[in-house]
Amino acid sequence: MADHVSPAEGVPTTAYSELHRDREAQRMRPKMEVRNLYFWYGDKLALKDISLQILPNEVTAFIGPSGCGKSTLLRCLNRMNELIPNTRLEGTVLLDGRDIYRAMDPVVVRRRVGMVFQKPNPFPKSIYQNVAWGARINGYRGDMDELVERCLRLAALWDEVKDRLHDNAYGLSGGQQQRLCIARALAVEPEVLLMDEPASALDPIATAKLEETILELKKSYTIVIVTHNMHQASRISDTTAFFYMGELIEMNRTDELFTRPREKRTEDYITGRFG
Amino acid sequence: MVHRHIDDELLVLQRLLFEMANLVDEQMANAIDALLRRDLELAAQVRARDDEVDAYELKIDRQCERILALHHPVAAELRMIITAVKVNTDLERIGDHCKNLAKHTPHVVQAPEALAQTRIEEMADASRAMLRQVQEAFLKRDRLLARQVLAQDLQIDRLHRENFEQLVRFGQQHPEHIEAVAHLITASKALERISDHAKNIAESVVFLIEGVDIRHRKLREPQAQEGDQHS
Repeated sequence: MADHVSPAEGVPTTAYSELHRDREAQRMRPKMEVRNLYFWYGDKLALKDISLQILPNEVTAFIGPSGCGKSTLLRCLNRMNELIPNTRLEGTVLLDGRDIYRAMDPVVVRRRVGMVFQKPNPFPKSIYQNVAWGARINGYRGDMDELVERCLRLAALWDEVKDRLHDNAYGLSGGQQQRLCIARALAVEPEVLLMDEPASALDPIATAKLEETILELKKSYTIVIVTHNMHQASRISDTTAFFYMGELIEMNRTDELFTRPREKRTEDYITGRFG
Repeated sequence: MVHRHIDDELLVLQRLLFEMANLVDEQMANAIDALLRRDLELAAQVRARDDEVDAYELKIDRQCERILALHHPVAAELRMIITAVKVNTDLERIGDHCKNLAKHTPHVVQAPEALAQTRIEEMADASRAMLRQVQEAFLKRDRLLARQVLAQDLQIDRLHRENFEQLVRFGQQHPEHIEAVAHLITASKALERISDHAKNIAESVVFLIEGVDIRHRKLREPQAQEGDQHS
């Protein structure tokens, strides 16, 4: 590598561009991929032939009216749907090219693909314990104090709670609780974070803070977010997928989808003509 | 279909734009009439009414600002707002050029033989036709008509060059009319600028309908240009 550094400016030349190309190639390899996915609740078909790719270090937003299947699909991405009785799935979901239903243990899948829910759901324990718990049961042997601080910093909560780490988490505001849940999800060192309407119970200030956190987190994680808030999708996501009645209608770069949607149903939905 | 307040707001915006376009068209007709018929009273009227055009500009900007702030438009509705802001500016500039034509009229009437050397009447007709066609393209969302307007700009540019050359020759032969010649060159330039603005509006209409930005061809990616050729 050192051979390629330009002595004049100290800037890597050839090696840098090769590295850059490698990174670009790596970046474009999907972190997750869904192929021909069908999902049923009893007899009711909830997802119909869904195929899509989720790129690494990006925020992918799932949007669509209630009942369109977006949250169902989110749960399929870390096998949470298996916890719901009388459901059935066909098709393939890949994580780094490996089939999460046929070739991976569900516990491993859920550790690598974490989830943050609509309503903040901290444990009735201290702030510290909330973050440390998941790591501890996963057998984390490192410095727990360091891990808790790192996760709280990543979730943009450290400065607000560093002097009261052993207070009960229920004493935090809704927005802080949601960021604590993110910190808790990060403590088991996932690669993908699924978020199911994480800001729906938050006020605009807490929402803005959460969105900032998400944008910061995507540098290290791949994020998939389900949201009813179209402006939130357009503000924070790189790619947006629009679902309607269990079908993927359109998936595109977010700026394209919100300025030049290809499908009329997408245009009608994002402009509020139906929902 | 859900009733949406933004539909009402967009209708208000559309109505304001058409009222402004009609007023500008009327201003242009009167400015040309005043110049060609040497009607100073009509020219004065055109100058006085420019304030009405400016008032529309403010109202339309305010309405666009209101829709952006309150309704956060996306997709075709966002393109409508972007288009409205641009068309508003172009119409206001056309209004200014009409006022300028009216300002030149008293100077031109003193040398009707200079005017007779030019093809300003033909140029004025063609510029006004462009303006009317682009209005119709906007009203009917007719992208083909908008693209036809684009092509007409070349003819106006050619007429302006001819006027310029003709007037310079005339000025050399009749130095006593040099002031009228200077005013006529500026009037010809004003008509040429009006057609440029009509062309801008046509480009905005294509953007509104197709979602494609067709300006500054040389700067665009080859793929986009290919797409243009197929459309």
